[in-house]
Amino acid sequence: MSEDVSAPAPPGVVSPTFLRDARRLQRKLVEEYYGELASAEKPRRPVAYMLVGGNLTEILRSFGYDVVFPEIVGLNCAIKHQSLDNILHAESLGYGSDVCGYVKNDLGLQDLGGKTSFGQIPRPDLLVCSFSGCYIYVKWWEALAESYGAPLFMYDVPYMREETPRKEDIDYLVSQLWELVRLLERRTGRAFDLDKLKRVLAESRRAEDGWVDFLRAGRLRPSPIEAYFESIFYMFPINVLRGTAAAADFYGIVNEEVRTRVRDGNYPLPEEKYRVLVEGVPPYTNYRTFWNFFRKWGAVSVVATYPKVGGLFDRGFRHDPSRPFESIAEYSLGAYVNQSWPLRRKIIADYVKEYQADAAIIHGIKSCRSFTAGQGDLRDWLIHDQRVPTLYIESDHQDPRYFAAAQIKNRMDAFFESLEQRRAVAAAAGAATA
Amino acid sequence: MPELVQIRPEASDLADGEALPGIEISPDFREFVQARSVDEMVRLAQEVLADPTFPTVRAWRKAGGKAVGCFPVYTPQELVHSFGMLPVAMQGGGENLEISRADAALGSFLCSISKSTLEMALTGLLDPFDAFVFPYICDVSRNLDGIFTRVLPQSPSHMLHLPQNFTSQATIPFLVAEYRRLIEKLERVAGQPFSQEDLRASLEVFNEQRELVRRLATVKRETPWKVTLIEYYLLLRLGGLLPREIHIPLLRRALTEIEGRERKNKDAIRVLVVGPFCEQPTLELLQLVEDVGCYVVGEEFQMLHRWCPRIEPGADPLKSLAASYVRTPLDIGVRSTPTTKGAAILSRVDASKAQGVLFLTAKFCEPALEDVVLYRRALEGRGLPYLHMEFEEKSTTYEQARLQLETFVESILFE
Repeated sequence: MSEDVSAPAPPGVVSPTFLRDARRLQRKLVEEYYGELASAEKPRRPVAYMLVGGNLTEILRSFGYDVVFPEIVGLNCAIKHQSLDNILHAESLGYGSDVCGYVKNDLGLQDLGGKTSFGQIPRPDLLVCSFSGCYIYVKWWEALAESYGAPLFMYDVPYMREETPRKEDIDYLVSQLWELVRLLERRTGRAFDLDKLKRVLAESRRAEDGWVDFLRAGRLRPSPIEAYFESIFYMFPINVLRGTAAAADFYGIVNEEVRTRVRDGNYPLPEEKYRVLVEGVPPYTNYRTFWNFFRKWGAVSVVATYPKVGGLFDRGFRHDPSRPFESIAEYSLGAYVNQSWPLRRKIIADYVKEYQADAAIIHGIKSCRSFTAGQGDLRDWLIHDQRVPTLYIESDHQDPRYFAAAQIKNRMDAFFESLEQRRAVAAAAGAATA
Repeated sequence: MPELVQIRPEASDLADGEALPGIEISPDFREFVQARSVDEMVRLAQEVLADPTFPTVRAWRKAGGKAVGCFPVYTPQELVHSFGMLPVAMQGGGENLEISRADAALGSFLCSISKSTLEMALTGLLDPFDAFVFPYICDVSRNLDGIFTRVLPQSPSHMLHLPQNFTSQATIPFLVAEYRRLIEKLERVAGQPFSQEDLRASLEVFNEQRELVRRLATVKRETPWKVTLIEYYLLLRLGGLLPREIHIPLLRRALTEIEGRERKNKDAIRVLVVGPFCEQPTLELLQLVEDVGCYVVGEEFQMLHRWCPRIEPGADPLKSLAASYVRTPLDIGVRSTPTTKGAAILSRVDASKAQGVLFLTAKFCEPALEDVVLYRRALEGRGLPYLHMEFEEKSTTYEQARLQLETFVESILFE
């Protein structure tokens, strides 16, 4: 998330305009986070590893844990072009070419000692598997448990097949949350502090409000934000630092700058030719290259599904200090990939309307079955049932060997050319009618 | 054992639009009722498996029955059965099914079984089914359910969330509620309400089937020369395709013959096969494993028949069914392990007295692929030999597989 975005853009391509103060602040927050994790000060706080989807960061934070998200460490390695060495090392340990890139990137890194260019990743004292939306989480955490001998808490989150959770889902989750609390009490020797958790949740809620305001700016025409590439940079506080005042304040600054952008007419591109919905995880290893393929055609992503992997806040969910455990349970259910395909299709159909998207681009991930299995069917549904021009392309989020730049560019060029031609034909027909 | 038979033409030999001819089975399953010898049963099983039109399901329907397709690895079949419907193990299209439409819907890097299952849905081969169950064994199975709701909107499909937390006090109550969610759909499909008494009776039917399968597995483990791997495998496969009331007496007859066989123990190595719990390898590949000199004394084939020991129906049979899923000590790639992967594989090696482990994993099967690394580490720690091979539903050449297997066997024999 700290790719240098101030580098000059290729000729003929408009440089992305990033929010200035927020961008600097985000970088500072990232550096502080990894700096604290790498701190050799004694006694250090206990460390828990957790997954982004359905994460329980507020509860861990209320017990004084530092939380490491190996997915986020992985994407930081990938965006800094440091993932391949880890992946190759994992393959030398026996993880095959078809195993999830996140898993290989992380397990390779861990086996190499956890040293990254942005800091030393500490060993876990506790592994909390928030099994929400991806089966591979179970496998990944089992491997970490065997490597480190750390206790593993399996937080089993039912898959969402209906829009509203059933009571039995919430009961099951709340019971597990209390079991986690008892475990944390035993491990830390601290009594659970409900008031502290409520204070943390209040900060979470404040951050969620700000994050949603930012995402919804994509509804404006033209959009003052890039809802895929830019949002991903600003996911760090909502996923990693949620529950802190710093995260909540961050989105206040972001949104102030968005308002300035609108006031000054300073948009992601000089001309917003195509408003695009993007579905899927980005190719972190070639983030800028992929982004340029959009910008070249004046395509701005106005809404995207990937920034919702940490929670569907824009669909109305908020952590609620007055219902702490119930709302954490509801949150866990709401990771985007924990939604069934019918629910995902509904979200996407709503997004197309609400954000007035002209087209959709689906980026499938070779090694991520959770997100990707069925995206071909989604393309078919968008094209035939929803009448939304849609392109499906495929590479990998972590492994640069699967990013075929020329092939992807060709397909995107052809797609936007066809959109351009379709518009020209429609304009000519309109002129003739007039 | 009879030769492996090729019952039907390759789909690629057919003209465009020409449907695969399906074999016909009598509605009372007379062919299976009358099958006396294991050879006869194996021949019938091969015919059924070579036919992607689900002949046993069509026969069941001819008699007026309803059928529910159950994707691997585990569905509480007893629930389906308690409604008088046939639970059918859907284990892919096999090597005779051409994939033409499913590739586009699923993407390129997915297992064969997901593609062949969707292909069958898109080409009408699943029309004999009234409903489908996709257990959450992996993300692909889970997502297939969502695709089925679109491509087969007239047939209810249910994604069954099988829990992964086996220590929580809340897991069994949750699974009972989860089963009730499935029951809601089954009631609509069957057109009748759920009955505890019917479930109790179904539990006894499946207890009997489990006991016979356990007996057969014991024979295979203790005296592997008495039953070939193909015979063993096909007898198990029939268990998920035939009405259980037909399979149980068939299996009993087969066991009588097998247990009474006087065969010589060959100089073969004892092998534990790990990995093929969902997608199925070809019969030719299984044949090859034995041809090169392996006795398979432990495996993960058709685990739906061996998920748990006997289930006592008790006062609340639904709770008993849920508890049996949660409490089973089974180590398999599709549920979080109750111990560690290393301890689990070593205990399975010990229980089967295996001399080596053959990892036979489906291409792109991530749960199996990730376990292999931890299993291998434990085996290496004890100096136990292993071989890892990947397979797909469609395999045409076996030269490389033969070479790998022969080298593996020789490395153990000449140790």
